[in-house]
Amino acid sequence: MILLSIQEMTKRFGGLVALDALNIEVKGKTIHSIIGPNGAGKTTFFNCLTGFYRPEEGEVAFEGNSIVGLSPDRIVYKGIARTYQNIRLFPNLTALENVMIGYHVHLKSGFLGPILGLKSTIKEEAKAKEVALDLLKYVKMEGKEDALAKNFPYGEQRKLEMARALASQPKLLLLDEPTAGMNPRETQDMMDFIEHMRDELGITIVLIEHQMRVVMNISDIVTVLDYGKMIAEGLPEEIKNNKTVIEAYLGSGDAADSH
Amino acid sequence: MTKAQSLWNHGVKIGAIGGVSVLIIALVGMIESFGKRDIISGILPMGIAMALIICILVAYIAANKTPICEKSVKFANAVISGFVTSGFLALLVAIGRSFNIRDMFVGASPALYKALTAGIAGAGGIFLILAVGLICGIFAGILIILNDLPRKLIINALATIFVLGLLQELIIPIFKSWDFGVTNYLGKLFYTQNGLTIFGTVLAAVIYCIISLLWKANQDTIKTTYKDLPKGTRKKVKTFGFFVLAVFLIVLPQFLGLFLSEVLTIVGLYILLGLGLNIVVGYAGLLDLGYVAFFAIGSYVVAILTSPEIFSFGFNFWQALPIAVILGITAGVMLGIPVLKMRGDYLAIATLGFGEIIRILVLSDFLKPWLGGAQGIGAIPNPNFMGFQMVKPQHIYYLILAGCMLVVFISIRLKNSRLGRAWMAMREDEDVAQAMGINLVATKLFAFATGAGFSALSGAIFASKIGSVYPHSFNLFISINVVCLIIIGGIGSLPGVVVGAAVLMGLPELLREFAEYRMFVYGAALVAMMLLRPEGLWPEARHKIELHGDDETQTQTAA
Repeated sequence: MILLSIQEMTKRFGGLVALDALNIEVKGKTIHSIIGPNGAGKTTFFNCLTGFYRPEEGEVAFEGNSIVGLSPDRIVYKGIARTYQNIRLFPNLTALENVMIGYHVHLKSGFLGPILGLKSTIKEEAKAKEVALDLLKYVKMEGKEDALAKNFPYGEQRKLEMARALASQPKLLLLDEPTAGMNPRETQDMMDFIEHMRDELGITIVLIEHQMRVVMNISDIVTVLDYGKMIAEGLPEEIKNNKTVIEAYLGSGDAADSH
Repeated sequence: MTKAQSLWNHGVKIGAIGGVSVLIIALVGMIESFGKRDIISGILPMGIAMALIICILVAYIAANKTPICEKSVKFANAVISGFVTSGFLALLVAIGRSFNIRDMFVGASPALYKALTAGIAGAGGIFLILAVGLICGIFAGILIILNDLPRKLIINALATIFVLGLLQELIIPIFKSWDFGVTNYLGKLFYTQNGLTIFGTVLAAVIYCIISLLWKANQDTIKTTYKDLPKGTRKKVKTFGFFVLAVFLIVLPQFLGLFLSEVLTIVGLYILLGLGLNIVVGYAGLLDLGYVAFFAIGSYVVAILTSPEIFSFGFNFWQALPIAVILGITAGVMLGIPVLKMRGDYLAIATLGFGEIIRILVLSDFLKPWLGGAQGIGAIPNPNFMGFQMVKPQHIYYLILAGCMLVVFISIRLKNSRLGRAWMAMREDEDVAQAMGINLVATKLFAFATGAGFSALSGAIFASKIGSVYPHSFNLFISINVVCLIIIGGIGSLPGVVVGAAVLMGLPELLREFAEYRMFVYGAALVAMMLLRPEGLWPEARHKIELHGDDETQTQTAA
């Protein structure tokens, strides 16, 4: 089943074509990796999907409905969540608050509810707290809910960001270099965790990643971008041996020989 | 860094900073005008006390900043710094006595030199200044060398004395108003007509030390006993605490007298304003410098509706109040819409303009037939509560107290809600907040509207308290005062707003010498706060939360 379908998506910054008529289909409950050299347009691709940028041309259908032109806050409601390449937590809020904000889309109370102490609001808040605590436990951060996000070590900040993204209970999770800056052990944990999310939570994951070990090990399908164009797509094994891909990463074969 | 370098960098340079600070307060005339009031009667005028505090503080900072661990170097830096600081003053006296520098510095008067040298003429006075500076430096050096406990005791005991001296105008009338044998006796024991008695000074320090030592010794037992109490009892203790606080707040104006109650109402109005702006600036992170606009709108709505001068709508205060608040909220939304896309500095400037627009509109001849122009609107009737006319400040106090209670309640409830979290998320990172599903437009407008509503409430009470409104009551300084009090109290902290309002609004009313230097002191206080205690006087609890991971990094750097 196709969860996300992107057709002819083009994004320009002035004269620069960051994404050039991309066609990508993401199947449900898979781990779909996007790789490519620096500046290939991977993060721009994420930003277009989540409403930060509006693509000039093309169509994005999520579960069959177009999401092009929706603002980021509407897109979360559709069931898409993301993490960031450079971790972007709410630094001066506690871990619990960070995750509870992730749950924002499932809460309804407005201005008067909390002031009047309505029963529905109190119930909702209790539920939000419960969900958030469960998620912190899920990422193995129980007991640290009252610490400020900025005080966590790097690895835990990544996990906290993941928990915050999960709190919106997304169907599609966009991870932007989740293993950046991690040692092999932490990387392995993260890989297990990502697979666990696909298998146990049934979340579809689109992954931008630079570590080939990660990509080749956990991806169900890999898409390669270069200069905003898709240059290859296929199973990890196929990509590994694809000539165009190797050229994009290492330069053309002739040039490589001459070195 | 070698020792010699440290002596130059930390001792001399920091001492010079202190010297310049002391020179400034001397030359703007603060030492002299605060000299009329004594902290300790006949011994220590407040102006000199301020100079001493700066001298000791700077010496302490100099020693504290010294990266070399050897105590002797730290001590030497403190002494040098204290000496250098006083050197600037000595130089001022030496130059000022021989040449006339009053053309440039009005404050450089013979009275200043006399105050600084304790009346000793000739070189003796100058040596006195240098000697005092040296003593200050040695004192600061000793403080640095001492262990934590005695150091804290000494610093806090001195602070207690200073505060008791500073607040004499507040405390003496309270003693007097009770007029019991005991309070009269206590009043005489501690205070003279001007300043603390020597005996009172010593007694206050001793009492402080005893109390704090007792607290230190029993702190843990008290805390664990409280924690071990069953939940129901703990709740009862808390409720009892609130009850005591409520009773205290209710009876407070009864023994404060007219003048102090008036001060209290001014502080109260600023607390209301501060609580409102705290939502906009503290929670939602939107720097609003035109906050006075909503205060003005609240005031003018009440004035127009209740005063018979221009229209005769004949509303009473209670009928006009909700209309004022609703119009304030509307204005908040209307200001919010055009500035939705602005952030940071741009938002501050746009809102600043809005505040001025309202003031100029009110002042304009064009709107004079409706708003009264520069003459304003007078004859606003006092509020009437169930047939009781609220005339005196003591009566208005209760109105303000009720308003503050309501606003505090709403602030607390909102803070721990979906909306409050959305505000804070927006403050931390607007883009990510939006990517979490937060509707920025609605969330921002709610913040502006809530803040504006509180401000309008404050304005409405202000109008009926003063009985008349003029355009010049609503100038930029009110906005600036409110922003300052939030920053100094602690951004985002409710008790911080109360403390900030009391310090920035209450103190200047109590010390009238202060009024002249108000803006100067605010500026200095803001800079000092940013350097020494950026989280504010009473910060939000979360800023104190320490994390395990943090300890680790600390030990790593130490190693």
